[in-house]
Amino acid sequence: MTGRLVFVVDDDARIREALEELLASHGMRAIGFASAGDYLGADRPDVPACLILDVELPDINGLAFQRRIAAEEHPPIVFLTGHGDIPSSVRAMREGAVDFLTKPFEAVDLIAAVETALAQDRARRAARADRAALRARYEALTPREKEVLPLVVSGLLNKQAAAELGISEVTLQIHRRNVMRKMSVASLADLVRVAERLEIPVSHSRRRKEDEA
Amino acid sequence: MSANTQRRPAMLALLSLLVAAGIWLATGTAFGLLAPLSAATLWLSAGASRLAALGFAAAAAALALVAGLGEGDYADLAREGAAVCAAAFSISAAAAAAAAAGDGRASAAPADAVKIIESMPAHAWSADPDGRFVYVSPGALAYLGAPAADLAPLPDSDEFGWKAVVHPDDYARVIAAWRASLATGAPYDAEHRLRRHDGVYRWFRNAGRAERDAQGRIVGWHGTTIDIDDRKRAEAALIEREHELSQLVDMVPGFLFRLAPDGEPLFFSRRMVEYFDTPAEDFTAARGGLSASVAAHVHPDDLERVVALLRRTIPAGEPFASTHRMRRADGTHRWMAVSAEPLRDDDGAILQWYGICHDIDDRLRVEEALRERERFLWQLVDTLPAMVVCAAPDGEPIYRSEQLRAYLGYGVEAFGGDGRTRLDATLEQAIHPDDLAAVKADYARSLATGAPYRRKHRLRRVDGVYRWVESRAAPMRDAGGAIVQWNLICLDVEGEAQAQQALREAQERLARASQAASLAELSASIAHEVSQPLAAVAANSQACHRWLSADPPNLERAKLTAERITRDARSAAEVVSRIRALFSQSTEARGGHDVACVIAEAQELIAEEALRRGVRIGLVIAGDLPRAVMDRVQVQQVLVNLIRNGMDAMDDAPPGDRAIRIAARAEDDAVRVEVSDRGKGIAAPERIFEPFFTTKEKGMGMGLAICRSIVESHGGRLWTEAGEGQGAVFVFTLPAAAQAAA
Repeated sequence: MTGRLVFVVDDDARIREALEELLASHGMRAIGFASAGDYLGADRPDVPACLILDVELPDINGLAFQRRIAAEEHPPIVFLTGHGDIPSSVRAMREGAVDFLTKPFEAVDLIAAVETALAQDRARRAARADRAALRARYEALTPREKEVLPLVVSGLLNKQAAAELGISEVTLQIHRRNVMRKMSVASLADLVRVAERLEIPVSHSRRRKEDEA
Repeated sequence: MSANTQRRPAMLALLSLLVAAGIWLATGTAFGLLAPLSAATLWLSAGASRLAALGFAAAAAALALVAGLGEGDYADLAREGAAVCAAAFSISAAAAAAAAAGDGRASAAPADAVKIIESMPAHAWSADPDGRFVYVSPGALAYLGAPAADLAPLPDSDEFGWKAVVHPDDYARVIAAWRASLATGAPYDAEHRLRRHDGVYRWFRNAGRAERDAQGRIVGWHGTTIDIDDRKRAEAALIEREHELSQLVDMVPGFLFRLAPDGEPLFFSRRMVEYFDTPAEDFTAARGGLSASVAAHVHPDDLERVVALLRRTIPAGEPFASTHRMRRADGTHRWMAVSAEPLRDDDGAILQWYGICHDIDDRLRVEEALRERERFLWQLVDTLPAMVVCAAPDGEPIYRSEQLRAYLGYGVEAFGGDGRTRLDATLEQAIHPDDLAAVKADYARSLATGAPYRRKHRLRRVDGVYRWVESRAAPMRDAGGAIVQWNLICLDVEGEAQAQQALREAQERLARASQAASLAELSASIAHEVSQPLAAVAANSQACHRWLSADPPNLERAKLTAERITRDARSAAEVVSRIRALFSQSTEARGGHDVACVIAEAQELIAEEALRRGVRIGLVIAGDLPRAVMDRVQVQQVLVNLIRNGMDAMDDAPPGDRAIRIAARAEDDAVRVEVSDRGKGIAAPERIFEPFFTTKEKGMGMGLAICRSIVESHGGRLWTEAGEGQGAVFVFTLPAAAQAAA
């Protein structure tokens, strides 16, 4: 039960109460807040979660709050509103909301939206963890290996890459093997994908080299 | 001739004088002129009466003497002489007749003469050449109440004894004249006062003549003393009257003048001379006469006209009157009214022209000013953008202003003579049939009571179109309070009436629009109010279902959620019933309501919004608040509107500062409710109540206008006051409900 956490921000205590109960009955843990300020000020566990946000909050409009926290890591948002209108819902969805539900809502719809949000959060968290591991491997490369990596993933021949760095082709092959090993990839194709995820710029292209030749 | 015979002529002369004087006094006529002729006739016809004839001759001589020697008024003396002769004639005639009867008693005449002398209404005297009395008639002595001896010269003195009886003021003059006559032999003639025996002074004329012998020596003096007191008084009265007349001429506030028959100025009154500074003597015939006078005085622009008038009237002897400008002494020209009429003798010949001339310049100016003022007033009446009617005390129209005549197409003379009064005929013609009865009733009441009249009604224009007018009439009263006239103005208010109609329609449209607007807001509010508990109900029921479906079922939590479902469902039902109550009450009649209750309900209505907008609402309700008469829903609407306004005003304020304070307390016979906020205050306190005035980007600007009209329809007032510190305060009052009978 502890794995699925839902934050509920709504100024109506009855709604908070009902949502907590509903989520509990679906095996989720809900934490209620009466205002956006209360939510921000609280100490929240860093686990996959969902944020159910009332649009009409006492201190700030829910949509405005969404924009304000957009730059930070935050749980996917499911909006609830007393009187929903199309422009608001469109805006909310464009800003990345999972769903925009009008009270009274269907419990099924809400639970589905929460499940989706939690899944999204889990996926996002996993991606974030992968990226962090790759980054750690990359950081373990020597400076020369960090020079070799972009040349290799750019598709240069060993000979060309060695010429680029002013080293022998044999030395380059040793560096290349070490990079493959340290980055835990089995093929050049895997290495290219890893480089992409690490957003390592492709500094040379073989085609350009050929043109120069 | 004996001494007796010798005395006869002297006695006769004296006799004729005395008698003549008596006759003159008695008749004042000039019959004496006939005396000499009569004397001659008698002389010839009655030769035997030579003594009497001698008397006539003496009388004639006396006349000649008096007439010849008189120094003063010839006419006067001649008349007196004539009277003497007339008397002599009559008396001598009697004497002659007696003589002619041939009784031969010539000696009887002197005795008769003395008798006659002494029976005359005059006093006679004789004196010696030195002026000493030798004879004083008994009448004189009786008048003086003194013996003859008292009149004799005083011993050891120049003075005569009669000094005592002559008025002291006259004595010096009298004695001087007497002494002069004694010295020269000239006839003595003096008027002076003599003291009567009872001390009263009366005027007398004393006249004496010297008697001379053949050698011309004075042998004595004979004279009469005649009482002229009455004549003196008459003279004095005449002088007084003449004085008064001349004073009248001078004092009459006008200029009097006299002209010769040909127009030559003869006399200008003193005032006229002073006014023009030109005496009549400046315009004698030799100096140009009337033409010169006219040329000198009349304004050049009027001269031709005046000259023509005078040329026409004076020769014809027609009275004339003219109004023209004349030059005053100071050189200014002033308007004068001049008129003159001729005085004619018995034959119709003109003796003189008498005329009068008035300075009417001031009067003309006043008249001109009055005419100007009257013209102005009429112009005012006729150009006022109102129609004016004047009516007699019984309501009969006597005047209609030009505007009204033009409007109606007829004047006051239009109706009447057909049995109806002019008023009734006019009303029936002009007033719209639907208004006629009411107008007539109002008129009748005002005419009966004198109360001012005021009414709006439709009035038929000349083209047949009825237009709305407002008529007001008030009575004009004399000093005693009696109505002398009714004055009525009538204003065309058709445009106004139409504008009012349009305004009413606009207000109705606005009211409908604002109702629609509030309805939209209200429905959103209702939706929110109801959807909250329903959402909770839905979620709870799903949860409940889940708890029951679990294996094993979680009955504890299912029960809990079921209870919440019940609770929230009831909450939703309450909202619905409250809303239903809201609308059902709005159709109820106004009644006394607890203001605190109404405020609490309004707060509840807006509580959700207040919470959402972070506004705290504080209540300060006095404990002794009376109930107020109101339409509960409308007043709630006012409160909600004011609270919402306050919240709008604080949108930019920091969340902690957003607070609305609602206070209510009793004030006089009303309940006073204040709604204060902590916003920026009100920039245009008077304008905010105008419809469509708004400070908000999305507001319709109707809220406060509606609030004010609601409060005013309750007999209360709505206004703003400066808040303590920042913010605005809206205050409204509602009349307190009458206390229920104990």
